[in-house]
Amino acid sequence: MALAEKKLGDKVNKALGVNPQDAKLTKTYLSLAFIVLLIGGTLGLLQGLNRAGLFTLPSWFDYYQTLTAHGILMILVFTTLFMIGYFYASISHVLGGLIPITRKLGWIAFGSAVFGTVLVAITIIAGNASVMFTFYPPMQASPWFYIGLVFLVVGIWLAAIGVFLNAWDWKKKHKGEHLPLLSYFAVGAFLLLFSASILVAIEVLTLIPWAFGWTETVNVMVSRTLFWGFGHTLVNVWYFTAVSAWYVAVPKLIGGKGFSDSLTRLVVILLVILNIPGGFHHQIVDPAITEGWKFAHVFMSLSIAFPSLMTAFAMFAVFERVGRKNGGKGLLGWFKKLPWSDVRFLAPFIAMAAFIPGGAGGIAQTNHHLNQVVHNSLWVTGHFHFTLGLTVALTFFGIVYWLVPHLSGRVLTPKMNKLGVIQTILWTTGMIFMAGAMHWVGLLGSPRRTSYSTYGDNATALGWEPYLFFLAIGGTLLMIAVILMVYIVFHLMFKAPKGLTEFPVAETDGTKNTPKWTKNWGLVVALLIIILAMGYAMPLTEMIFNGPPGSPPIRTW
Amino acid sequence: MKQAIYGLIFYIFLMLPPVISISESIMVLHMHMQMPLLVIVGMLFTPYLKEKFPGFFEKWNTNGVPGTLLFFIILIYWMMVPRAMDDAISTLSVEIFKFISLPFLAGVPLRDSWKKLSKRGQSTALISFAIVYGIVSLLYIASPNQLCNNYIVAEQKALGWTSLFTAIGILIYYVQSLFIEEELEE
Repeated sequence: MALAEKKLGDKVNKALGVNPQDAKLTKTYLSLAFIVLLIGGTLGLLQGLNRAGLFTLPSWFDYYQTLTAHGILMILVFTTLFMIGYFYASISHVLGGLIPITRKLGWIAFGSAVFGTVLVAITIIAGNASVMFTFYPPMQASPWFYIGLVFLVVGIWLAAIGVFLNAWDWKKKHKGEHLPLLSYFAVGAFLLLFSASILVAIEVLTLIPWAFGWTETVNVMVSRTLFWGFGHTLVNVWYFTAVSAWYVAVPKLIGGKGFSDSLTRLVVILLVILNIPGGFHHQIVDPAITEGWKFAHVFMSLSIAFPSLMTAFAMFAVFERVGRKNGGKGLLGWFKKLPWSDVRFLAPFIAMAAFIPGGAGGIAQTNHHLNQVVHNSLWVTGHFHFTLGLTVALTFFGIVYWLVPHLSGRVLTPKMNKLGVIQTILWTTGMIFMAGAMHWVGLLGSPRRTSYSTYGDNATALGWEPYLFFLAIGGTLLMIAVILMVYIVFHLMFKAPKGLTEFPVAETDGTKNTPKWTKNWGLVVALLIIILAMGYAMPLTEMIFNGPPGSPPIRTW
Repeated sequence: MKQAIYGLIFYIFLMLPPVISISESIMVLHMHMQMPLLVIVGMLFTPYLKEKFPGFFEKWNTNGVPGTLLFFIILIYWMMVPRAMDDAISTLSVEIFKFISLPFLAGVPLRDSWKKLSKRGQSTALISFAIVYGIVSLLYIASPNQLCNNYIVAEQKALGWTSLFTAIGILIYYVQSLFIEEELEE
């Protein structure tokens, strides 16, 4: 009997596509991602308390070291590890298992990323790299910091190549078919990340000889421009990852159907093509870029709103249909009938809702005049805690509740679900307090990237204090939420009751009406390159050929 | 018909004086935005023109080769002759020629020819297209002198780099078309 059960389990496992080797790879990525979240979160709390003036970090690990480590761990490492783990599990599921070369690349990428992160961490702890996550020159870190970043980027590239090879292999075996939607998202997201990280790789490769002292000066504008060509895209890559779960998993979890296959694929293509030439909206007060080019990039960054609004429309259409099916009446009655007590829906829903104010704040910042009001103030920090901390991270947490049990052959118990709901509420409240306070105090002029100071008891600076308390309260709530989340992840991975959890992939209207050109990745890549060249070739050439003599290194700490 | 109306609206938009002055103020915009958009306008007109004059296209462009050749002649004239852009800015008649030649002598024949070309013909056209862009990029990047009276050397170099990226884009498109050949023919 026991044997029969085991065999049946194996069969079901096979049918559901949990390949133990693939599961191990993703579980490794996710474990490390959440350990990084715990470390990064702790650093975030310490830094928040310091920023609020409640506590002073010791000189051997000061505010700026904490800030750099928190930024890099959360923005680069946590997100990247989660993204790779999640998409590898996704393609393993929808494409019928990873091909051996992809799995191998996944492990090498993991090794490369871990090695890079360790190098970066060592240089920060040693006090040689307090340059913050943007690592703008002429602030100069130890060369090993930049070399660590190179290994991180190489990890990203290897992971991306793995995804491309797997998709290509599937296409060869399924001639004429459309790539399943989730793998379509994976290819798009990695294509975007791959292309954008070429820019940052070029930047870092020019910084390394400069940090070793082999070259004396560096072109600051070129470095900043390359960084933001990457940075602006990176935030959209996380958003991309989150959106893939909204389109594919969320409808299934609430018992609905995907909105439209063609629309989803169009969103993917638009996100890939429109994204990279938008970096100048991060450099809106930088000199050396003419207004026309800033305007062109602002236009490109706002054009991302178009696929985002398509997403909003599609998601709410799905919700309304489900709500009405569940008996919701009237204009908005369906809203009450959504499965609010299910954390797998609640977390991504709050994430989506948070993108409304988050996106609006982003649009405000992107405009030249409004940007002047909030530039380099805590408003900006608040903005990306809203978008990354709520929209992206909360979607990632929402994914955990079904992905981890699916991979480890366990189930989400009602008790864990309840804990998840509590975690979601705590996290949301914490983020609203913290990011909300940051937005407000930023409007009042409190700077970002700067430790606590009363500026000689200046009245304006003292007026920031109450808001900074809110910041600290929010940070504390977030820390509790982080601990809960890490507990939930490892509980679901090792302790939850055994059972089968399905990988939720929603049905859609199918691919019969999907235009054939959406299969044409070559066209997407060609357009991506051409639009990238349109956005950057001209300003970069001006910066290089009409550039100043360059800057020697500066150490501000 | 719908396409032709969109094309007409777009055509008129591109002719508006402020649009012309913006799109010709920067060399890259002039060559890599205004000119391709004019070609696209021509492509939008094509179905309507083919419906109106079916015999003409059948007679003069049976296998697509003459149309493609005409497209390349116009393309090479506007891209490889630096003074063509100068002339367009300073002489009204050349500007008018640009607004007529790019849609009607490049865009229309290209769209009419593309489907008529064999697979090999399309490949040849794509590779030639990439080569033209490659040569243009060499010309503008390597030239130490100012080639156009209206644009400074930095803009010229930028144009060269964008052309190089465009050439790479076209080549990538070509290479992938070798892999998913059968799908496009379905």
